[in-house]
Amino acid sequence: MRKISTKDIEYIAMGSTVLGTGGGGDPYIGKLLAKEAIHKYGDVSLIAAKELKDDALVVSIAAFGAPMILVEKLFSGEEFKRAFDMMEAYLGKKIEAIIPAEAGGLNGVIPFAVAARKKVPLVDADGMGRAFPRLEMTTFTLHGIPVSPITQADEKGNKNVYHTIDNTWGETLVGATTIQMGGSCAIGCYPMSGAQVKKAAVHGIVTYAETLGKAIIDAKAKNQNPIDSLIEKAAAIKLFTGKISNVTLKTEGRWNKGVCEISGLEKNIDSQMTLDFQNEFLMAKKDGKPVAITPDLIVLIDAENAQPITAETIQYGTRVVVLAMKADAQWRTSEGVKLGGPEKFGYKEKYVPVEELNKNNKDVL
Amino acid sequence: MYYKIGVDVGGTNTDAVLVSHGNNILAKTKQSTTLDVSSGIETAIKKVLLDANIPKEEIKYIMLGTTHCTNALVERKELNKIGAIRIGLPASSAIPPMIDFPEDLKKLLGNHVYMVHGGYEFDGRLISPLNEKEVKDCLLKMSGEIESLAITGIFSKTLPDQELQVAIWAKEVLGAAVKVSCSHQVGGLGLLERENAAILNAALQGVALKMVKAFKETVHRLELSSQLFIGQNDGTLMSLEQAQDFPVLTISSGPTNSIRGAGALSQVDSGIVIDVGGTTSDGGVLVNFFPRESTQAAQIGGVLTNFRMPDVVTIGIGGGTIVRFKEDKCQLGPDSVGYLLKEKGVSFGGFTLTLSDFFLANDQLQIENILEKNNLKERIQIISGRNFQNALDLVKEQIQLSIEKLVDKLKTDPKEIPVIACGGGAFLLPKKIAGASRVLFPEHLEVANAFGACIAQISSEDEKIVNTLQNDEKKELEKLLSNVKIELLKKGASEDSINVLTKESIPLAYLPGAIKLKVKLCGDLIS
Repeated sequence: MRKISTKDIEYIAMGSTVLGTGGGGDPYIGKLLAKEAIHKYGDVSLIAAKELKDDALVVSIAAFGAPMILVEKLFSGEEFKRAFDMMEAYLGKKIEAIIPAEAGGLNGVIPFAVAARKKVPLVDADGMGRAFPRLEMTTFTLHGIPVSPITQADEKGNKNVYHTIDNTWGETLVGATTIQMGGSCAIGCYPMSGAQVKKAAVHGIVTYAETLGKAIIDAKAKNQNPIDSLIEKAAAIKLFTGKISNVTLKTEGRWNKGVCEISGLEKNIDSQMTLDFQNEFLMAKKDGKPVAITPDLIVLIDAENAQPITAETIQYGTRVVVLAMKADAQWRTSEGVKLGGPEKFGYKEKYVPVEELNKNNKDVL
Repeated sequence: MYYKIGVDVGGTNTDAVLVSHGNNILAKTKQSTTLDVSSGIETAIKKVLLDANIPKEEIKYIMLGTTHCTNALVERKELNKIGAIRIGLPASSAIPPMIDFPEDLKKLLGNHVYMVHGGYEFDGRLISPLNEKEVKDCLLKMSGEIESLAITGIFSKTLPDQELQVAIWAKEVLGAAVKVSCSHQVGGLGLLERENAAILNAALQGVALKMVKAFKETVHRLELSSQLFIGQNDGTLMSLEQAQDFPVLTISSGPTNSIRGAGALSQVDSGIVIDVGGTTSDGGVLVNFFPRESTQAAQIGGVLTNFRMPDVVTIGIGGGTIVRFKEDKCQLGPDSVGYLLKEKGVSFGGFTLTLSDFFLANDQLQIENILEKNNLKERIQIISGRNFQNALDLVKEQIQLSIEKLVDKLKTDPKEIPVIACGGGAFLLPKKIAGASRVLFPEHLEVANAFGACIAQISSEDEKIVNTLQNDEKKELEKLLSNVKIELLKKGASEDSINVLTKESIPLAYLPGAIKLKVKLCGDLIS
């Protein structure tokens, strides 16, 4: 167990942006929310899953909604408390710890605000090890843990509890009512036991996010190369160096879909890269050949300031470095690939681990 | 036939140009910026009037580009005492106003910050109604303690009526003299950034009032009856009344003016513009006669806003940049003697070696009353500890490297494009730059910014979110377009010159049916 202060949140938020792989919502608002809550209610205890009792009740608390709404109708903080309280009342049991559902993006930092307010520890683990666009895309689902009951609350005081037949329906139904709530809400989901957390979560991910954030922020403060520092700490593969030459963006259903084209520079001067995204980056192709495929992480970094770039803010002309990181081993099983791999997003290409795709490329390793 | 005068007040120089209505430059001048600012403006206008010999009554428009507001914010000087009301409870309370302001600014501005019930959902439903008593209780607490009030409501870009209602109550409770700054008039979607802009705007309203008054008085003293305009950050103009109400929009108008001015002077519609001043070189990109805008959120005085600022990359190379030699290398700046060039520069009898000194000694720059050339070269040799030609070569090599890096940074693809030089320090730029198809040094380049102010158009813009499940997208877009057009005509645009700069509808992720509409129009002043 250790205490997380507002200063640590800066690192974790930066690391969450890396793990967001272009999506997950910009953690800026989440960071402000978490810092304000810690400032008001005190530091948060971060515990390892092994510190949990096997029969402890652990719940994910998350922000749910459209990125555009989250920056205009800011959270009141009450909706998270309501989702938490409702879960306790519904199950008739005290929640002993909160676990982030998604360590990438906004939801990597928001759980700190609830943990501070409710004075419960936060588990150093999550259900993705990155960001994904749907609630059922978790390692919890891979282990057969139901997302339900789901508690849902908005800032006005409206509340809902869901029992869905499977985890996909959880996303579908909560998504539908969220729009009626004004486009954003808080949810409590994946209630599980300490024993289940130990088996099904991606462990150490909060500390990992902090390590990645530190690698960038501290290297910058010391005038060292933050990207090299990130590559070392993340054991990342440097896929490409170039300049954004084109971005196409369209919204399909509920997702931002698009392609980002990058013209090579330096060692990659004669090459082109394309990054496909549906909220998150899903596929990186170098000269038409895949070099990284979801669920492995594709991270786009601004070469000037080492800031990870989200898909919504890709800017024509930015000099960038593209990195790839291995997804958690649970995503690399056949069930994992089925749930978070290329076919789930409509690709014909089969998943091949990023280190396999790049094994003959001397430049990148 | 009529004429216009463009004035640009920078940190070092106040420039002015007098142009015909067809935009031919008839007279130009560069004067030192004065401490009181207005006497510098007066001298500059007088000079161009005299040189062009044009009757005063034929000067129809005067356009002013100024850094007054930027400086006031950066130096935290002369800021108004303000209050801030956010309308939106129960939403948004976890992230109170000014949460991410720099501490010193929060201390200065953050004494009267309140959140009240109200606000709208994205689709126009109420979050909660306004409560008159709650609002007036907050206003009473501010009574006698504030000069300006910033009012920000959730989704006020779609429905501004609650902000306007609170503004009316503010005048009732605080008196008609209190200034208000409604967020829907100064910023885009994104509550925190728009609120920040409204707060900064409120804080600047006092400075703006003084600036406008000084400008009016100056023009009055000169017995000119011209219509007056102030440049704003998107390269268009606003009236003095608007500048008084929305001073935050003048911030960063300088780079915009020089980029547009340089483009017009060289008659190039797209390329890279490098504006070399006394302290820095600012590189920007011209696309179809307008600056490329940055997609990064703009920080003003350390505060995050959602203004679209020109995408400018700055390097520390200017006329006053200090030159130092270490072994076989020379180091340029990043510090500069700035406006003290004529006291500290070697050419003027001082002891600091600047870039200007090299170009003066090499006859690439002429200024009156400097040291005799051979004497100057000798002094440079003594200070640099090496032969003059060798020192000059090293300096030029270093400039070449820095400028090529700057150009490369600004370019989006490897294709060679024109580079346009402008600003008082343009003489520093090399004639050939890697990555540039050609390097242009247009006539009048030293006053590109004042010229840019002169050719500026006026514009109007708005954005909102509509639910296309309930409303027809096309009709809503037409409605927004026609509202923006009415606004533009009100500002004084001639109807047949109106151009659509932006007309977009962007579907929003995770919100089926919701679309963000954005319209921006510009037009010429009625001639």
